[in-house]
Amino acid sequence: MIKDNILNDTSMENLSIHAKEILLEKNPFKNFKIENYRYAQLHKNIESQSDTVKSPLHKDLTKLTTDISHNTFANIDLKPTIDKWGFSNSDSFFRVSSLVHRTSISINLDNFKETSLFLNISNISKNITIQKKDPQLKTLVLLNYNCDDETPKSLIFNVAENANLEVVHYDVSNKKSFLYFEVKQSNYSNFNFASFQSNNTHIRNEFFSSLAEKCNFELSGLNFNNFGVNDNYSFIQHVKPSSSSREVFKSIVNNGAITNFQGKIYVDSIAQKTDGYQMSRSLLLDNISKANNKPELEIYADDVKCSHGSTVSKIDQEQIFYFNSRGISKEVANLLLQKAFIIETLDIIQTKDIKDFSIKLLDNLLT
Amino acid sequence: MLNIKDLHVSIEGKKILNGLNLSINKGEVHALMGPNGSGKSTLSYFLSGKDGYEMERGSIDYNGKNLLDLEVDERANEGLFLAFQYPMEIPGVQTSFFLKTAINSKRKHHGLPEIDALEFAKLIKSQAQELDISPDMLRRDLNVNYSGGEKKKQEILQMSLLNPAMSILDETDSGLDIDALRIVSEGVNKLRNKDNSFLVITHYQRLLNYIKPDYVHIIADGKIVKSGDFSLALELEEKGYEEISKTA
Repeated sequence: MIKDNILNDTSMENLSIHAKEILLEKNPFKNFKIENYRYAQLHKNIESQSDTVKSPLHKDLTKLTTDISHNTFANIDLKPTIDKWGFSNSDSFFRVSSLVHRTSISINLDNFKETSLFLNISNISKNITIQKKDPQLKTLVLLNYNCDDETPKSLIFNVAENANLEVVHYDVSNKKSFLYFEVKQSNYSNFNFASFQSNNTHIRNEFFSSLAEKCNFELSGLNFNNFGVNDNYSFIQHVKPSSSSREVFKSIVNNGAITNFQGKIYVDSIAQKTDGYQMSRSLLLDNISKANNKPELEIYADDVKCSHGSTVSKIDQEQIFYFNSRGISKEVANLLLQKAFIIETLDIIQTKDIKDFSIKLLDNLLT
Repeated sequence: MLNIKDLHVSIEGKKILNGLNLSINKGEVHALMGPNGSGKSTLSYFLSGKDGYEMERGSIDYNGKNLLDLEVDERANEGLFLAFQYPMEIPGVQTSFFLKTAINSKRKHHGLPEIDALEFAKLIKSQAQELDISPDMLRRDLNVNYSGGEKKKQEILQMSLLNPAMSILDETDSGLDIDALRIVSEGVNKLRNKDNSFLVITHYQRLLNYIKPDYVHIIADGKIVKSGDFSLALELEEKGYEEISKTA
């Protein structure tokens, strides 16, 4: 159904390589789409436990907004300055039909003098295109939290030659949320993306990335203390030689929640000397929660280094015993081991303030 | 300090300790020697409170309290310490952070405020130096990629920082080279005083040349078959477990 809509609504010219591939069914894995959405349960309504979740979280997020927007970082407020950037009316392709033909906003990060920028995407229903051309590193903080608008959102990142960009994404949503990220990296560019997901009811995040020559792409995600379904999908395409991608996803699952991760590294036949790495690990805290991890490699080149790994485990009781035997209580040991498990995903954040904040937020939200 | 009476312990229906009696007073060092499978490690794990062991009979009195009433962390905070034969690797937890958390847990248990950061830094630096542990190691993840010797030194460092009343050393000498054995033993000897006690579990008499015990016990088939002073360890080295057990 989705495909039909797209074929009717959109001309092929504006489509990304990946989209064309799907539409033309060049993808060798015919069941791709079924698998892709198999566990996401997007058609279902999952009751949000908003009352129990809201209170402590709102405080943290309000604080986050205050910290980031008023003290250190510039706040990209779209409303008053929207004319300044102008609309880009070119259709953005999006596989969910509701986003097709939506107007886009284009934001050029180099127009800001600040190195860290904050963008609240919670209530934006336009497609957003982020441009980054300058080599100077900028950090963009994205915040997606409870809002009444449950329509999917899309963000497209164009990272130009030699440009350096870092994105830190906080996703804390009681409502159903669907975010689509597409990254287009030109030669010699570096892009880091950290996605911090907690206290969500039903979210799906898709990360599509296309790497030109000699790029670096790092994607890390952490999710914990969720309710309902937490779903991450990534598709990293190496379409030119000599690029590297590194992806680490970690989840801690409790409350009977379901966490899904499906990630593919695609290496085109001309993308020789690709260095790809993917790791997905889940920690189950109870017997009613679920983790579905599905790592995938699709490689058509013969001179590449690609590896992937995936684990689902419980907290090691021998480790808990070791902590206990040093006088540290079970509760504290549990928390420390959870933190130890997940904190690695924050390592890629280069901006110290934001990294410190993320660690603090992790400490506050881990229970 | 520690008084074990007629202890019978089994694991999954298999009897390991079979009427063990052992009494350790303040200021004493006891050595427990025995062949593989005689129940040495079971005793140390059971005393520390590890899950999976079933006590069929017996009693353990620790400083006037029933040890079995205390949880694992409570036992530790009440001054019981087990130096593991195989210390756990804890990826993602920095060694110094772990040590600080352990110290503060004990302080909290005794109603004391958290240790001052500067005081902790000083304490850990001096103790690590004595055990020839580099500051770099304290920044690494706990026991991760440590050599066998480094892990054992780390156990002794934890022991010296927590200053326990009753320490159990479970084959601390295994896997140590001669230099490390000397450093570890010196670390233990420095801690010895009239108020604390040690139970040193070992296969070999060599460790006891460094850590001189007041008493030596020989364990076989889950109970102590012979007790004596240091000369018993020498006799054992000469004759072997089998013969000693027979004469017992």
